[in-house]
Amino acid sequence: MSASGPAPEAAANAVAAAETGLLEVRGLVKRFGGVTAVNALDMTVRPGDIHALIGPNGSGKTTTLNVISALYRADGGSLRFDGAELIGRPSHAIAKLGIARTFQNIRLFGDLSVIENVMIGRHVRTRTGFIGALLPGGATAREERATRARALELLRFVDLESAAGAAARSLPYGDQRRVEIARALASEPRLLLLDEPAAGMNPAETDTLVALLRRIREQGTTLLLIEHDMNLVMSVSDRITVLNFGQHIAEGPPEEMPRNPDVITAYLGGTLDAA
Amino acid sequence: MHFDPVANMQLLISGLAVGSIYALVALGFVLIYNAVGVVNFAQGEFVMLPSYVAVTFMLPAVAVFGTIVHWQVPVVGVYVLVLLFMVAFALVFNRIAYHPLRDRGWMPVVISTIGVSIFLRNAVQQVWGSQPIVMPSLFSVDTIFLGPLRIRPQDLLILGVTAVLIAFQFYLFERTTLGKQMRATAQDRATARLIGIRVGRIVAITFVYSAVLGAVSGLLVAPLFTVTKEMGALIALKAFAASIVGGFGSIPGAIIGGLTIGVIETFGGFYVSSAYVDAIAFIILISVLLVRPQGLFGERVAEKA
Amino acid sequence: MNSSVTLSLSKGAPLAALIVVLALIPAFVRSDYLLTLLDTAGIYAIVVMGLGILLGFAGQLSLAQAAFLGIGAYTSGFLTVNLGWPVWPAMGAAMAVSALVGLIVGYPCLRLSGHYLALATIGFGIITQLVLINWKPVTNGSDGMTGIPPPQIGSFVFDTYGRYYYIVLVAVLVCAYVAWRIKTTRVGRALEAIRENEIAARATGIDATRYKIIAFVLAGTYAGLAGSLLAHMTKFISPDSYSFDQSVVFLVMLIVGGSASITGAILGAVLLWFLPEVLRPLKTSYIMVYGAAVIAMIVFMPRGLIGLLETLRARTVRRPPETA
Repeated sequence: MSASGPAPEAAANAVAAAETGLLEVRGLVKRFGGVTAVNALDMTVRPGDIHALIGPNGSGKTTTLNVISALYRADGGSLRFDGAELIGRPSHAIAKLGIARTFQNIRLFGDLSVIENVMIGRHVRTRTGFIGALLPGGATAREERATRARALELLRFVDLESAAGAAARSLPYGDQRRVEIARALASEPRLLLLDEPAAGMNPAETDTLVALLRRIREQGTTLLLIEHDMNLVMSVSDRITVLNFGQHIAEGPPEEMPRNPDVITAYLGGTLDAA
Repeated sequence: MHFDPVANMQLLISGLAVGSIYALVALGFVLIYNAVGVVNFAQGEFVMLPSYVAVTFMLPAVAVFGTIVHWQVPVVGVYVLVLLFMVAFALVFNRIAYHPLRDRGWMPVVISTIGVSIFLRNAVQQVWGSQPIVMPSLFSVDTIFLGPLRIRPQDLLILGVTAVLIAFQFYLFERTTLGKQMRATAQDRATARLIGIRVGRIVAITFVYSAVLGAVSGLLVAPLFTVTKEMGALIALKAFAASIVGGFGSIPGAIIGGLTIGVIETFGGFYVSSAYVDAIAFIILISVLLVRPQGLFGERVAEKA
Repeated sequence: MNSSVTLSLSKGAPLAALIVVLALIPAFVRSDYLLTLLDTAGIYAIVVMGLGILLGFAGQLSLAQAAFLGIGAYTSGFLTVNLGWPVWPAMGAAMAVSALVGLIVGYPCLRLSGHYLALATIGFGIITQLVLINWKPVTNGSDGMTGIPPPQIGSFVFDTYGRYYYIVLVAVLVCAYVAWRIKTTRVGRALEAIRENEIAARATGIDATRYKIIAFVLAGTYAGLAGSLLAHMTKFISPDSYSFDQSVVFLVMLIVGGSASITGAILGAVLLWFLPEVLRPLKTSYIMVYGAAVIAMIVFMPRGLIGLLETLRARTVRRPPETA
């Protein structure tokens, strides 16, 4: 077996034969100057799954997420979300379509309160504009109240209701993560992208996170997460895509991964006796 | 309008001269920006302040704090005194305006340097009064003739000194250890510190170097106009524009940007409109910002998620 | 920390009392000189509130407020002096023209950020001032424009500083109300999100460029209104007043007052406008003190006076923190 992974055509055929995904990545390419970070990536995220994206450092995982959420512009390929092409749309339009995300280095609105952070998450599902702001009564007030109530509900969902009034940057790291998740959920996404949500967490916090991820999935949201914590990945994922050098190495349920020689090669750089 | 090669040549020289001033000041900007990631809105005062110090020691009589003083010194002494003054000034500036704010992002530092600019422009008024002061020229004649061309000797001096400084800049950065340390610090401060470069020292040296460039610019340009508290302000803004046109953060960009703006401004002022001369630099700037914000030599910076 | 608090009854009463007190001031202050100061302070407070929406809320540094002040003043002046318009519609037109210019300039420029935006606004300001100086048929150039009429309602003419005070007071209250409504609703939150973390704001669905343009237009409109008010009060305007330095003054007022706060904007404007009077014994060197104060403020009090008050209040009110 060559070190560059299984024959790409076989993998592509397997992907094409799978059921239609909520998110279909086909031949995605992203270059930075001379470096090709994402190299004709194929991936299918099925609705209702918790889908993990794993791979060695530098394999293009975060870049892929960034291209999906339009932080970077793709250089080639296609990204179809429920049939709609994502490439070419700006970040805020992607959020409006129903994709929300968290960031590897937490990006909260630090100076604002926790509840305001989550209320801002409601932006795409609310409408009050400049004119509405000037008219104090009726619709504006109702929407304000609804936004605040929904934000509080979401904080309850991630178990941070008591911190609602605190400044976001004053929270401990793990709590900030959960605020970020609550903010992402506020936009009622169908797909939630999580970039290393368990980073810096101890086992107890990780368990809480896993429970939270499962609860999110139960509500009908599909999750795509990047993670390095293999225990978490194996225990919570329905499907895993393994990346290396910006390409798809393997995709399938967790059980298949340890047996896949290309996965082993990618991580360990050598051959291993089949498990 | 017929093409008059003599007039155009004269305009070119004049344009390159004023462009050289912009280039030197822009170089001062860019060095500070590269070293500490901050735009110095007081850069104009780096030009104005040494000019005031210079005339105090150049003229036989100057009013300081209301009283007339006679501190005239031979020209070489003037240059030494100005140099020493600007070195001290740069170190104080670093300590007060930049150092306490170095971890707070760019806006506090911009505001702080604006504060310094306001302070200095008024401080010189307190010391030297508000009357413009004339800096004597090194030359006894206003114009000389080079073949058919009528040129100001000061312009030639500016071109000559600038060429020397640019050569020195190149030599410093490419051939000396100090220069390499400055480049390393500009590229990646954390790593520079890790490999043993004393970043604080390099930053101080950068401020000093930038201040000296300012002093040279002031000494070169003051004889063409007068020494006033506002003399640095517009020059600095145009130099800032020049550094952006050249590509913010790029040293050759700052120089070429400055020369370009100087030349276009001079030709534009002559052929198009003299009233709007000062607008030309900013029209160029805004056009560049809209079409190619990274300028001629700059790099696009992508923010990481 | 910023909190979007709806106006509860307990806050309403002191506010009403304050408004009543403010309204009564001209009855007690007879000095024309003081009234001029108050009127100008109020007008500048409007400019600074506008800057507060753009810089304080949205975090975008613009140094063009003086340019919009000039655009508003000259639009209003030109329409009333040269075209014989009545004053009130001219004020409206001044605001509309400022808004339009803000949109035209903002659309390309707000794609830039940080230093680039600051510099583009400086450039716009310098070009605007040059136009005011050189477009003689419209602006009368450096000689300035004289004979600008005061506004009137029926036969009641607002040609004393005492009377004009009420126009300014109403304008300040309306502008403050608008800014407050923006701050405490969805638009304001979007602006603050952009300031705090633009990438996250975009990923959350906020069209950052559009909102930045809105903020820029608002800032320009506020300044345009202020310029118009100033023109009809002083009855004479000249291009010298609309310089980059003046924009810097507005910036300093906002920083000193507290940039994300509406009260801060008003406080900063009033304080720094009256400060020269307090420092009058220092004569011309007060600007020097000013500059030194700016540096000291930004080093020691980056959130301005309002920030300082909030910190003090938080310290005295807060119960001892529970152990984690």
